[in-house]
Amino acid sequence: MSGQGQVSFRNIVKMHGEFAALKGVNFDIKPGEFFALLGPSGSGKSTTLRILAGLDAPTAGRVLIDDKDVTSTDARDRDIAMVFQSYALYPHMTVAENIAFPLEMAKLPKSEIAPAVKDAARKVKIDHLLDRKPGQLSGGQQQRCALARAIVRKARLFLLDEPLSNLDAKLRLETRAELKKLQRSLGVTAVYVTHDQEEAMTLADRMAVFMSGEIQQVGTPAEVFARPNSIDIAGFIGNPPMNLVPARYADGDVIIAGHRLKTTITTAGERDVVVGLRPGALRMSEGGLGARVDLIEDLGDTAVLDLDCAGTMIRMRVADGNIPGEGDTISITARPQDVHLFDPATRMRL
Amino acid sequence: MTAKRLRVIALLAISMVFLLAWAFPIIWSVLNSLKTDSDVLAYPPKLVFAPTWEAYRDVLFGSGSILPNLLSSVIISVGTTIVTMLMAVPAAYALARLRFRGKKFAGFYVLATQMLPPVGIIIPYFLVLRNIGWIDTYQGIILIYLSFSLPFAIWLLVSYFEDIPFEMEEAAYLDGASRLKTLWRIIIPQVRGGIAVTVVFVFLNAWNEFLFAVVLSGNTVRPVTVAMFNFVSVEQTLWAKLAAVSVLAMLPVVVLGVVAQKHIVKGLTVGAVKGGGRR
Repeated sequence: MSGQGQVSFRNIVKMHGEFAALKGVNFDIKPGEFFALLGPSGSGKSTTLRILAGLDAPTAGRVLIDDKDVTSTDARDRDIAMVFQSYALYPHMTVAENIAFPLEMAKLPKSEIAPAVKDAARKVKIDHLLDRKPGQLSGGQQQRCALARAIVRKARLFLLDEPLSNLDAKLRLETRAELKKLQRSLGVTAVYVTHDQEEAMTLADRMAVFMSGEIQQVGTPAEVFARPNSIDIAGFIGNPPMNLVPARYADGDVIIAGHRLKTTITTAGERDVVVGLRPGALRMSEGGLGARVDLIEDLGDTAVLDLDCAGTMIRMRVADGNIPGEGDTISITARPQDVHLFDPATRMRL
Repeated sequence: MTAKRLRVIALLAISMVFLLAWAFPIIWSVLNSLKTDSDVLAYPPKLVFAPTWEAYRDVLFGSGSILPNLLSSVIISVGTTIVTMLMAVPAAYALARLRFRGKKFAGFYVLATQMLPPVGIIIPYFLVLRNIGWIDTYQGIILIYLSFSLPFAIWLLVSYFEDIPFEMEEAAYLDGASRLKTLWRIIIPQVRGGIAVTVVFVFLNAWNEFLFAVVLSGNTVRPVTVAMFNFVSVEQTLWAKLAAVSVLAMLPVVVLGVVAQKHIVKGLTVGAVKGGGRR
């Protein structure tokens, strides 16, 4: 019953009337991978997950699981488990009955169901709550119950639709770490939808970044962070996100507010560009771009400075002990490899 | 006395007035059913009298026993309720969930049938039943009752089905359940309250129905609402017996109300609890 859990999307298009929710999506997920679908709301990531689950049918394109075309296979025949954002627990059943439901539907004998339910509950630490109804559980416990129901069946694919978004901040961090451990120990392929770039960065082996119905980049979190493919991704990933400043490119340099910054590009000629600078990649150094400190957001170990560079707002992250005062004028610069260039017309990386 | 207490007293007084207005006919029936015919007609009305079961004995076991009529009412009401629910539950589910051509029209049609005045359709109904030879038959009356209990039940149930989040069903599909299994194991247990409420209403409507019954029934099938009029004739009205039949006819209704109350209240409060998997 359990397969490998390899997924391929081939030119998936989803139309809602005239509106294209997905405009030809392609990606491959390797077996055992933790794969995140990241993007702002309305970018198509949830639609993608629903098409993978078989809850929605694509308008065009093919979905392959373990090299088999499942595009028109029913959801219940795809051997996929899913955790919903609302958890979708069955309120009239106990926790044990909820977890047992997929096994019952698979017509497993009762003698096998009971130990499997116990085992799944133990893995998510709710084995003491088996007789409760979902209404008697806290949000975190409900979430665990939904997880247990998903892992009990040992499906080949494990889908998670923003599973942490209903938890409070502290619980979210805890559960995030546990989720990653759980997925590793089960060795199952997981597809995780989130709009929270931090969740995707910390959890995913690889991720696909969605922007208005298209995948703009697929890669490891480190790759996407280091080399965002487009202005939209650059502005979406990182906290605070990358500074994006309109500037002029001239013979390997960019000119921001009259100051020249070296880049890694060496093409001759001049053109308009958008410069991307990570707040953490900026350095204070003599002879750099002059900037006035407008506001300091102290985060304890680091601080984020809002800088005014001759009318251009730039945010910069500095380590504790290195914080200037508000109203001070400082001089900043960045290494050439930290200067990202984008085309303002196509919005893609240069 | 504080203003708050005055308000409480005023509210209590108003409730008492309403309660009396509601309860008066019932109390009056119960009292009259326990009187002799002469006590019933005594003026001024006797509040203190020697109670007797004579009227009950007569209407149940006398020459004009209404036991067959009670049986008729039970067969008609239970039959109507069962057939209605068997058809209304899947229909309501379909209207609440599925996307199909003409759904809007179907939904409107269901409601539109409720807007016709019953008197306007009674003659066509009579003619139809007469032509197929179903006057004075159980299937005839149940069929006619279906024509208004079914739309009503569907319309009532749809809102209960609509309250259940889509994700709940999708979770069941992914857990490997078929659509029918999902309906049976996941959806219906959650609309139990709504089904109980609908059963009560459908049963009561059928049990209390008079207008259609009086036209479409006969000597074979004669529900208690019609049979009651045996005790009203041109010469006299047998008030004590009439009251006794009324009380007997009310009993199943009261019992049903008490039994179903738990479900009805539950049906109203489901979802009021935070979480419960249905946000």
